[in-house]
Amino acid sequence: MTKKIFDEKVKILQNVKVNQKYYKLAFASPLLAQKAVPGQFLQIKIGEGNDPYLRRPFSYYRTSGNKVEILYEILGRGTRMLSEKKAGETLKVMGPLGKGFTLTPKGKKRVLVAGGVGVPPLVFLAERHAAAYLLIGTKSKAEVMPKSELKNAKAKILYSTEDGSYGVKGRVTALLEKILKKEDPGKIFIQTCGPKKMMEAVIAIARKYGIDGEASWDENMACGVGACLGCMVETRSGRMRACADGPVFPFKELVIP
Amino acid sequence: MKVDLTTRIKGLTFKNPITVASGTFGTTDEYGRYVDYKKLGAIITKTITVKPREGNPMPRICETTAGMLNAIGLQNKGLEDFIIHKIPYFKKIGTPLIVSVAGETVQEFAELARVFEKHRDVVSALEVNLSCPNVEAGGVNFMKKQERILEAIKAVRQRTSLTVFAKLSPELGDVLEIAGKVLGEGADGISVTNTLRGMAVDIDSRRSKLAKDFGGLSGPAIKPVALRYVYQVKKEFKVPVIASGGISDVDDALEFLIVGADLLAVGTANFVEPRATLEILEGIKRFCAKQGIKKLDELRGSYRPCGDSKKGCHR
Ligand SMILES: Cc1cc2nc3c(=O)[nH]c(=O)nc-3n(C[C@H](O)[C@H](O)[C@H](O)COP(=O)(O)OP(=O)(O)OC[C@H]3O[C@@H](n4cnc5c(N)ncnc54)[C@H](O)[C@@H]3O)c2cc1C
Ligand SMILES: Cc1cc2nc3c(=O)[nH]c(=O)nc-3n(C[C@H](O)[C@H](O)[C@H](O)COP(=O)(O)O)c2cc1C
Ligand code: FES
Repeated sequence: MTKKIFDEKVKILQNVKVNQKYYKLAFASPLLAQKAVPGQFLQIKIGEGNDPYLRRPFSYYRTSGNKVEILYEILGRGTRMLSEKKAGETLKVMGPLGKGFTLTPKGKKRVLVAGGVGVPPLVFLAERHAAAYLLIGTKSKAEVMPKSELKNAKAKILYSTEDGSYGVKGRVTALLEKILKKEDPGKIFIQTCGPKKMMEAVIAIARKYGIDGEASWDENMACGVGACLGCMVETRSGRMRACADGPVFPFKELVIP
Repeated sequence: MKVDLTTRIKGLTFKNPITVASGTFGTTDEYGRYVDYKKLGAIITKTITVKPREGNPMPRICETTAGMLNAIGLQNKGLEDFIIHKIPYFKKIGTPLIVSVAGETVQEFAELARVFEKHRDVVSALEVNLSCPNVEAGGVNFMKKQERILEAIKAVRQRTSLTVFAKLSPELGDVLEIAGKVLGEGADGISVTNTLRGMAVDIDSRRSKLAKDFGGLSGPAIKPVALRYVYQVKKEFKVPVIASGGISDVDDALEFLIVGADLLAVGTANFVEPRATLEILEGIKRFCAKQGIKKLDELRGSYRPCGDSKKGCHR
């Protein structure tokens, strides 16, 4: 099973700030765009020299035709340098990597739960396949995505902010529980990506209600192709590589410490 | 112009000097999409231990200036799995295979050597990993550690007539001193350098950025140190040397060749450029053609030392 993975030199079409939290970067590459599914990711070499040295993983945020978009947050040196890149500059990009989300859990209503850098893959998922809800948790209104970025997401989008400045006040997990109380748990399928603490809380709730689902479990990565064993995830079948065996794992498989 | 890249080590013939550093090229075909393994001079495996090892918890890796720290902890499926599942794969590829081995006890080193001796049809040589920074030697002190290393090499030598490389790092003490001692116990060659132990601290949580206090530093950051060890070991002992430590592009590779390296193991660079090995190989051919070098051995070890002259080496 040799999945096709490509390593391309791409030209940046656009690299803009979309709100206080996220930047959006777009490039064109038929090979990187056409076969990608939500939950898969790209390994991007940000500088040409040794700074930063390793590639950085970013989820697919959107593809249309030959165009690929990523949505990223500045979290350190690499992402800061990425934010300083201009249209016309080039990047080396490898992908599509990893296994994505299950696209059609049979006969179930999908609830997507996103936070932080977990927002991009779930917006992509909601654009490709309709879900009942897309729940997004942030700290405050400043981090809420502009409407134009969410207009193609086929889901009812609800926000929770920790300071109550937008949507429901509190954590996204409280919002999730409120929704689950109204639904038949047997008909729900949860898909989540975001900070580990958030995903752990989501999985705990899912277990409480007996709901199935999947989480995109990110770990620091070096190679992104399963070679370095740097990104292991605890599962019931032993340690698995987030980059090659994941990053998406069924709740049932994950062993939460 | 055709350049002869043949590299000979004690009766072994490699069609070129390019190989991959242990633990940086997956366990079987992870890089098969990028690299035709048949084009490599040799393949060095991830370190194999007798029993399967789970390795360390996450996070295991973090980037540091021009390199990375890793605390993988020798995760591998163990000797039996390797024999059953990996040997047939490498046999099919046919590229000379150098198996990296490590034991937790002297008996385990002996066992590994005994078993691989029976697979001489596939295995060209052993690289005995004496220097993984991520496995604690049960709190033994420095001298004791040295003693154990020498016993390990001796045990391996007694069980196999395969070519044996001892993989070293400065963690073990003075590299030249240890190299002399392991060669004295029967090692055929030296592999330098394994990673150098380092640390990285998260200033907010004041914890290590890894799940361990220390990790092994690799990548361009360690290249000058690795280059010096290769040079010194070659000069002092004139034995076969496998070089690793930050080899990322053709210029790095040429520097190591000039100071005398026999095989060039590309490590962390594979993570950044999956095709790094083949790009380096092409680059070496181009360099030789341009310089009119017909055989790589004309270049190998051609370093012009500074000597003791008061004038320095640029006059
Ligand atoms: C499969 C996958 C998909 C990702 N998708 C996106 C995305 O779509 N958008 C986005 O903004 N970010 C995404 N990330 C996270 C992104 O890779 C990191 O933010 C980035 O590597 C940080 O690099 P840096 O040099 O800026 O920061 P560093 O200086 O390397 O690290 C700064 C901070 O970021 C954290 N970090 C580093 N690497 C990762 C990582 N791999 N995952 C999570 N946190 C990390 C560190 O723990 C540290 O707190 C994804 C990560 C993975 C593994
Ligand atoms: C992720 C990773 C895993 C490694 N695993 C091993 C190993 O199992 N056995 C070993 O002898 N060396 C191991 N090494 C060390 C490399 O083989 C190499 O000697 C070292 O990284 C220096 O070369 P480099 O700077 O080109 O990576 C590992 C290095 C890295 C980065
Ligand atoms: S990042 Fe190297 S194995 Fe996953």
